[in-house]
Amino acid sequence: MLSRYIKLYYLFCKQNLKVMLEYRMDFLLGVLSVMLQQFAGIFFVKIVFDHIHALNGWTFYEILFIYGIAATGRSIHHIFFDNLWTLGWQYIRPGKFDRLLIRPINPLFHFIADRLQQDGFGQLFIGIIVIGTAMPHLSISWGVLEFFILVVMIIASGFIFVAINLFFATLSFWMVDSLPIVWTIFNLSDFARYPLTIYHKGIRHFLTWIVPYGFTAFYPAAYFIEGSGFERLALLTPVVAIVSCIFAYWFWNRGLKAFTSTGS
Amino acid sequence: MRKYVEFARVQMQVHAAYSAWFWANTFSILLRMLVIYFFWKAVYSSRTEIEGLPFEGMITYIIIAMFLQMFVSGVGQELAHTIKDGNVAIELMRPYNLITRLVAMDLGDKVIHFVRGALPLSILAFIFMDITLPTSWQSGLLFFISAFMGIWIGTFFDLLIAILAFWTINLWGLQVMKEAVISFFSGALVPLILFPEWFQTISLFLPFQAMVYVPVAIYTGILSGTEAWLALGSQVFWAVSLFVLLRVLWSIAIKKVTIFGG
Repeated sequence: MLSRYIKLYYLFCKQNLKVMLEYRMDFLLGVLSVMLQQFAGIFFVKIVFDHIHALNGWTFYEILFIYGIAATGRSIHHIFFDNLWTLGWQYIRPGKFDRLLIRPINPLFHFIADRLQQDGFGQLFIGIIVIGTAMPHLSISWGVLEFFILVVMIIASGFIFVAINLFFATLSFWMVDSLPIVWTIFNLSDFARYPLTIYHKGIRHFLTWIVPYGFTAFYPAAYFIEGSGFERLALLTPVVAIVSCIFAYWFWNRGLKAFTSTGS
Repeated sequence: MRKYVEFARVQMQVHAAYSAWFWANTFSILLRMLVIYFFWKAVYSSRTEIEGLPFEGMITYIIIAMFLQMFVSGVGQELAHTIKDGNVAIELMRPYNLITRLVAMDLGDKVIHFVRGALPLSILAFIFMDITLPTSWQSGLLFFISAFMGIWIGTFFDLLIAILAFWTINLWGLQVMKEAVISFFSGALVPLILFPEWFQTISLFLPFQAMVYVPVAIYTGILSGTEAWLALGSQVFWAVSLFVLLRVLWSIAIKKVTIFGG
């Protein structure tokens, strides 16, 4: 069962790669554009830190580290799960979703595997560079265990992005296209680029327990920052990822049951 | 002229019909204002001024710049899609100038965005966020002229980039790249006076600072007197040059259409 899906995913990927290689210029353009976009954000932080020493007690490299985790986590979402953005306007509205339902595989798997988004590689690249730059400046000694935890945290971060988008994209089953909602919620992740401690308590709780974007960057990063006071909460990150994925998948299945095609 | 006015009017009605996007936009802008506010509050928690700007001056600059940036681009997407799906060939046969039509529609879009979005939201910002009025009525007036020029320059630049859709299919990448470059060099994220010297010198020779930085710097009094008039002069220069460049590139690109269509 599982091996069949792995083989299928490999075949889907191969098709996607062929498309990518066909349009090389566009591949480069996409990667470059995302890198530039991330770079603009980092440059902004750099400019601000040219004038201050610490932001509410957080140093430049700590902020960079948070930023890097957010970017890398998001790249997982961007490369492999980008199709979630298109559920409403490319699948349900034109009636293309029915096609997935008659195939002998899990419709969610088919839907996700339909696209591999090359543009996300730019984000991955920048994210790794940023983390690499910030790491030596944190007052923690990096051993194998720390590296392992970092990788787990980043993967968890990516899957929290996926779960949140999946949850709100699922609303499309009832309202045809939920993109405005998905997009608005996604914008909340902007908060997560900075230490949550700079925000009002209400915002912090909201981003921790309701829409858990706090676990996509700030909490995982805080685990590696001495004296941040969030080391304990940070360990919850993988748990939060698993719980949100299960919850989103449950919601997706409910949506599937309620789905009636846009008829013609 | 009448037909273009009609296009602008229809576009306003279209906009009013999609209320989901309107609310999503409004809500997202509110979120961004919150992030900006708390971020800068934290920056200023241990000091009273940066490069001579107190907190009120900074937050005023950032918020006004954010609003202005939303108006700087827009119409390019539409043109790029028309090119990509091939409709441009049909559009060119219709009895109007495609570019003028798009600009007119974009204008309608912007007017309605201003009335329904930017205006109420900026009033909110005035009430809750320590935002100040222009330093004098002259600078207020100058700001409006300059902002208008900035939007004009932004629109031409947007169209120039969109024409590249004749050569690439990755419209999303094109869009993201353009946005990144604009927020980089236009001073939409921070006032350019905070940038290192060399960066300021480079951006002096680029059209981007004329889109956002110049108008907002006039508003907040960073630029005043002769400096403000000089900056306005550079805006006129960019508006004219980009307009000419657009004409040239468009006529070259159109030739490609005839080859394409056979």
